[in-house]
Amino acid sequence: MTLLDFARGPGMNFALAVFVLGVLWRLVGIALLNYWRPKSEPRQGWLRAMMGGALATGTRSWPHREFIGRTGYGELLGYSYHIGLFIVILFFAPHVAFFKGLFGVSWPAMPSTWIHLIAVLTLTLFIAVLVRRVTNRVLRRLSNFDDYFSWFATALVIVTGLMTTGHIGASYETLQAWHLLSVELLLVWFPFGKLMHAFFIFPSRAINGYLLSRKGAAS
Amino acid sequence: MNREHANPGSATKREVNVDGAMRSFAKSFGALNAFRVESCIHCGICADSCHFYHATEDPKYTPILKVEPLKQAYKREAGPLAPFFRWFGLKRRVTAEELEEWQELLYDSCTLCGRCSLICPMGIDVAALIEEGRRAMFEAGLAPKELYDRAEHEQRTGTPGPSEPGYREKLEAIGREHNVPIPLNHDSVNVMLCVFSLDLDRYPKQVAALAQVMHHLGESCTFRTESLLVDNDAYYAGSREWQRSISRRLIDQAVACGAKVVIVPECGHAYTALRWEAAELYGKKLPFRVLHIAEYLAEKLAEGKLKLNKTNGGSTTFHDPCQVVRKGGVMEAPRKLMDAMGVDLREMTSHEGFGLCCTGGGGVMLLERARPLHYRAVQEKMREVDATGAERLLTTCTGCRFNFDDAREHFDWDKTPQSLLELVAENLAEE
Amino acid sequence: MTDQHTHRTIGEALDASGVSRRSFLKFCMVTASMLALPPSVGRVMAQQLRKAKRPSVIYLSFQECTGCLESFTRSFSPTAENLLFNVISLDYDDTLMAAAGSHAEAAREKAMKDNWGEYLVIIDGSVPMADGGVYNTAAGKTAHQTLMEVVEGAAAVVCVGTCASFGGIPYAHPNPTGAVPISELVTDKPVVNVPGCPPIPEVITSTLVHYVSLGKVPDLDEHGRPLAFFGNTIHDRCYRRPFFDQGKFAKSFDDEGARNGWCLYELGCKGPTTYNACATVKWNDGTSFPIESGHGCLGCSEPGFWDKGSFYKPLAAGTYTSAEKIAAAAGAGVLLGAGAAVASRMKRKSRLHETDREERS
Repeated sequence: MTLLDFARGPGMNFALAVFVLGVLWRLVGIALLNYWRPKSEPRQGWLRAMMGGALATGTRSWPHREFIGRTGYGELLGYSYHIGLFIVILFFAPHVAFFKGLFGVSWPAMPSTWIHLIAVLTLTLFIAVLVRRVTNRVLRRLSNFDDYFSWFATALVIVTGLMTTGHIGASYETLQAWHLLSVELLLVWFPFGKLMHAFFIFPSRAINGYLLSRKGAAS
Repeated sequence: MNREHANPGSATKREVNVDGAMRSFAKSFGALNAFRVESCIHCGICADSCHFYHATEDPKYTPILKVEPLKQAYKREAGPLAPFFRWFGLKRRVTAEELEEWQELLYDSCTLCGRCSLICPMGIDVAALIEEGRRAMFEAGLAPKELYDRAEHEQRTGTPGPSEPGYREKLEAIGREHNVPIPLNHDSVNVMLCVFSLDLDRYPKQVAALAQVMHHLGESCTFRTESLLVDNDAYYAGSREWQRSISRRLIDQAVACGAKVVIVPECGHAYTALRWEAAELYGKKLPFRVLHIAEYLAEKLAEGKLKLNKTNGGSTTFHDPCQVVRKGGVMEAPRKLMDAMGVDLREMTSHEGFGLCCTGGGGVMLLERARPLHYRAVQEKMREVDATGAERLLTTCTGCRFNFDDAREHFDWDKTPQSLLELVAENLAEE
Repeated sequence: MTDQHTHRTIGEALDASGVSRRSFLKFCMVTASMLALPPSVGRVMAQQLRKAKRPSVIYLSFQECTGCLESFTRSFSPTAENLLFNVISLDYDDTLMAAAGSHAEAAREKAMKDNWGEYLVIIDGSVPMADGGVYNTAAGKTAHQTLMEVVEGAAAVVCVGTCASFGGIPYAHPNPTGAVPISELVTDKPVVNVPGCPPIPEVITSTLVHYVSLGKVPDLDEHGRPLAFFGNTIHDRCYRRPFFDQGKFAKSFDDEGARNGWCLYELGCKGPTTYNACATVKWNDGTSFPIESGHGCLGCSEPGFWDKGSFYKPLAAGTYTSAEKIAAAAGAGVLLGAGAAVASRMKRKSRLHETDREERS
């Protein structure tokens, strides 16, 4: 079995299984913990509070006016590479084919030349984000292995993807194998580190938005 | 339950009750706090909202860092991957040294203002976690002495410290001096009133204003000697149990006099403690409404029962007290009152729910050793006030008022904070 | 009919056929060029070939469909006739030779004896090893026996086609005959693999000419394939590559993209992982190749191509399929999560057991 055969076959199977297992483990492990129902008299009815929560899932995506001056740059950097990643992952034709193989549904792809450009841009932003993490004093104080390894695992996927699509560094099947293996590494790591924020972000914003909205508090 | 509290504020390694802290953390673990802790992505954005970080640019003041011991405890004990964290030592065990180190972060450099909870892109309520952090510190015996002593005295006697003359005497004296009736210990009333201890000493006119306005409105109300004070220093110190027993006094007295409404005077933390947290500690919905005096007056204004004259006190800027406005939800009431009085309002750059903290709340102003840091932090707020070009600074919390007064003295500042309640009392329109 | 044994050297054979020196030189230069060798080698080739004795070649066919031999006979340059009569002495091929039965076997044994240590063995088809090798027998001997006997005195072995090179179709799952590639059985002689299903005619013949004229096997890749023809992928040389780069793909046969000649990646083309000369040398004297005719590359010159997943699923789609395994993993995850939550709640309860019970916050 060649490296590519392994990466396309049993490797991917294993990584997907670990991903599904880990994500459910972590989500269910939290969702079944103790719950607390607020007992204070709310300022707003539950419907308005829920709407507030739903709104918060969107509005937290950009800092409130008062905060933009200090925090705009960092947030912009972070969101930009996320958007770049989503575009590349979801709209590059071979990726669309991958998802079709996985889920059976497909959607139109973007022209590959645009994807190449966006991928290069995303990588640049991604490197900028690491530079920021090691130079910014707050981030240096906060960062741990999880932060750096999650960055590394994601960066590896982007770099191997660019190498594969650019046909540089090794033969195509080797590059494709590395790219798939790097995706598998990311999938296996995903449930155990901070990448889970992809699953946490909307419930967290919604729940806290709800709790603040029911008080009529700022959210 | 016999709880031995080590000498707080100066606990030695031997005395720090790490177990107590861990139990307190455990109490807070549930799906809600799990979501909060698990969501943190170490983006550091919360630092950008914190006035202590602004003033010092020291990363140790990053808000989420204050709850690191809680995160450690959660991940090691309660999280879904807890065994991994323990077996591979991925998070350290919480130690006495760590808790001692964190005392400064949780008490001296946090005013519980809640601004960090608004900036977090993951929607984490950081301030709520910090409150849990304080609760654990208290159980560990690490609540700062000043806060501990006040809380202990209050849960035992109903007052934060001995007073000569007594609080009741002070209140009655104010009534006499300002010629306003002080209804005391009436039964079967609509509204129960209380005062903030600092007002009795420093801002008696504010107390008089409260009594005056209630009398003017002809409201059936009373003070109760058993629950004269609205203070809840256990909220600052972080004692769940004492916070509850202090609130209980108010609740029991309100029930005893049949009050449908309890009014919190111009005070911040007391509003949070009674309006939002008392029911949780009490275990069920409170049998009465809790209103901040500004809320109450705005309601009366809307009902047409309160009429106000126009004031001409010059251009004014309003400081939104964090506990009342941002965390409390009393967003519109102050501005409705100011509008009715024709106040020429110049808003600060950050205002209403997103305003800057006066940087003295959360018990910070009670800690002597925290003063230098506070003075560094308050300057940002002072600059914002000055930038409006307003002549008058108005607010609706005595804690904030006191901090601004203190800043005025310390920095020789040209602004004197005024009370919204006093302004209303001065501009009551006769029918 | 010229007796192929009459002329001792190739040069003599060519002169007798009336092939001018000029056209012979031209042939050598073309062949050298196809092998990606410099022109000087072409001249050497011409000299050497003229002097060379036409080597004895024994062609063995095992588990094969004869497609490779058919392909070989369609070579344009050199033509099969040219090769057979002027360049090599094909002393045994059970499909092409006139003799049959014991006469054919006798011819083979004589050629082996006369040219022991110097003859070239060409093989197509895989060798079955299961059940004592009974699935391919001729003249009372199994393929394995015949192979080992014949190869013992060979100078080199050329495996023509994917079956001989890598096992090919018989080797595909479940491989009921226990088919193996030649290289697994022949380990002490130089083995050249010329895979393809079938290989391009000129690829077969040029490899033979290289060996005959230069006396050694060409440079080989890690699978034993001549680098000259198997050094690049189809993808590297495909004329539809610009469409791949731009992301213009045919989504189904005969759709707009297909009619516009766009890339066939989404229709399962294995070009990017297939090493062969189809995109450059092409078929039928350079007429076309599968992609040019509108069908994706099957990857037929690669080991295990039949088992690597659907011909029509794109490379990105992968070969993992197990929905059951993923579902099982999901179930396990839910159980682990529930278990963790229960453990966490119990731990919390036991911690709180030591403290006030009334506090239910």
